[in-house]
Amino acid sequence: MAPQEATPRADSVVPIAAPGSGLGDRTALFLLTRSPLGALVQWVARVPASIHAKLLCAFLLVVLLFFTMGAMSLDTISRMSRHSRLLDEAHKRVDSSRQVEHALAMQMNFTAMALLLKDETTIGKILRENNRFNSTLAQIDQAAPSEERDLIQRIRAAQDEALTSVADIANLLRDGKPDEAMKLQLASGYPLYERIEGLVGNLVKTEEHRMESLRESVTRADRRAMVLVGAFVGTSILLALALGFVISWSLILPVREAGGFLSAVSKGEFGATISVPNRDEFGALADHMNRMSVALHQLDEDQRQAARQLRALNEQLERASRAKSEFLASMSHELRTPMNAILGFTELLLDGTYGDVPEPLKQPLADIQTNGWHLLRLINDVLDLSKIEAGRMELSLVEYLVPDVVGTVQASLRSLAMEKGLEFRIQVPDDIPPAFGDAKRLTQCLLNLAGNAIKFTPSGRVVIQVERQGDQLLYRVSDTGIGIPKDQIENVFAEFRQADTTIAREFGGTGLGLSLTKKFVELHGGRIWVESEVGRGSTFVFSIALRVEEAAPA
Amino acid sequence: MSAKTILHIEDNEFNRKIVRDLLARTSYRLIEAADGESGVATAKRERPDLILADIQLPRMSGLDATRALRADPETAHIPIIVITSFALSGDDQKAREAGASHYLAKPYSPRELLEAVRRLAPEA
Repeated sequence: MAPQEATPRADSVVPIAAPGSGLGDRTALFLLTRSPLGALVQWVARVPASIHAKLLCAFLLVVLLFFTMGAMSLDTISRMSRHSRLLDEAHKRVDSSRQVEHALAMQMNFTAMALLLKDETTIGKILRENNRFNSTLAQIDQAAPSEERDLIQRIRAAQDEALTSVADIANLLRDGKPDEAMKLQLASGYPLYERIEGLVGNLVKTEEHRMESLRESVTRADRRAMVLVGAFVGTSILLALALGFVISWSLILPVREAGGFLSAVSKGEFGATISVPNRDEFGALADHMNRMSVALHQLDEDQRQAARQLRALNEQLERASRAKSEFLASMSHELRTPMNAILGFTELLLDGTYGDVPEPLKQPLADIQTNGWHLLRLINDVLDLSKIEAGRMELSLVEYLVPDVVGTVQASLRSLAMEKGLEFRIQVPDDIPPAFGDAKRLTQCLLNLAGNAIKFTPSGRVVIQVERQGDQLLYRVSDTGIGIPKDQIENVFAEFRQADTTIAREFGGTGLGLSLTKKFVELHGGRIWVESEVGRGSTFVFSIALRVEEAAPA
Repeated sequence: MSAKTILHIEDNEFNRKIVRDLLARTSYRLIEAADGESGVATAKRERPDLILADIQLPRMSGLDATRALRADPETAHIPIIVITSFALSGDDQKAREAGASHYLAKPYSPRELLEAVRRLAPEA
């Protein structure tokens, strides 16, 4: 039933969630259609989880990335501080090895001084320097790699030899043999010191070299760590952005779809459907919308169907109404033609056209005439009512004077009232300006009301009063007659109804007069009502505009 | 001065007889037609002093007949009384628009008809 529409593209969608054509939107559109992000958006939309869960997952992912980033940074920092500690140690070792070198130089210096001064006490200074040399060397030895230990071992062995030589020199000096001491020094002391100096120089160079290579490797490692952290941060930012893009567009697209769908529906495309890949709240929403669309479409169809039926029915009624008025026209003519003959011949007879009427025939002829006129009134009433009901009754609006209308009614009914011995009064103020309406029909209304009043009033009076209230005219016909029971007041204006069917037998009449009067008053755009009390009399009042509008409501 | 001629166009025999009997005691000369077409033809031939035309007639309605007579300069001046049935309101207006001099609603009183005839075409 609902026409299946192609899924509208994002840019075909109109208002509400207005995508506009900004740069941001064009970029988003490009990414959605030309990059794998589009497929990812579709995939996320299809994940059967609530929006809440999806958003939570996305945020957790981003938080996780930040945690990882933090951990990586901390690791890098701790590694760098370890490197700097290693460098410090290497520095210290270089310093120590230089101190060893210095202590050695001092030993040689003091040995030379002792020989020169031939002073035994200077030997003590040599020993002190020797102690410093040994303790510093021990420090280096403690944290030295194995290949260095060999070198240190050799330095220590050479130093021991040097000490032995120093001791011998000291003994010779004490024994007062400076020449021999000098000889010993030149023979074994110097070469020994030179050897130790060479070894210590090696040690210094080795330590310096180690420090240098350590520094290089640390610098390399630090640079690598920085690059790694930077790359990770960059990737994380891109990942977070992509995640945000995917999540937000997996929500924006269905909202736009819904916007387009709703605007289509608001334009009257009730069969429109919405298609979103989402299996979350938006998916449920789209399902509801589609169901609503189907229901609306059905409703629309039903309504169109009903409208078509109504139109057809209306045409039928129109045709029936036309047929009815044609029937009325011909019926009116057909009924009046024989009535014309009956009443015409009766009048001719009574007027003596065919010679003098024998006395006994006069009354029956008069009766024929009276009943003929009565029949004619009935025919007129029935035809008028039919015309009103066929919607063919039109008022012929003219200027009229209220006293003229009331005067006509008084003239027509005066003799009838007199026959019954009723008081028949007219009260029309002098200051009523010329009125506008269907004078003939208003006369007919007043004749009906006053005629009824006279008919249903055994004794007392009948009064016709006219009152002007602003731009309204109030016609009031009151009597002191039998009145209308409360439970029957509603029926008095109904067709073919008299308050009591026994009344019809007693008073005659068709019961069409009041119904017609009500309809004529309503054709004038006015209203009619009655106040009555059984045994006290009735008052019929109708109000119409002083000057009725040309197009009075039918 | 010769008697005035009155043309009565009416398809119902009884109604024709009423007018015939009504005018029997007057000096008017009466000629009759039973439908609109022959009524117009008779009017053109006889040139009556007054025409009584029913509104609903076979072949041509009283209104069309009135229009035809008004359109012909030879008959345009003849007074016409249109007898309406008051089927739908506005018959009187239609009669006036077609060119009727006067109209009477059916059923009419023969007395009133005679008064109207005498007013529009006084007896010689």
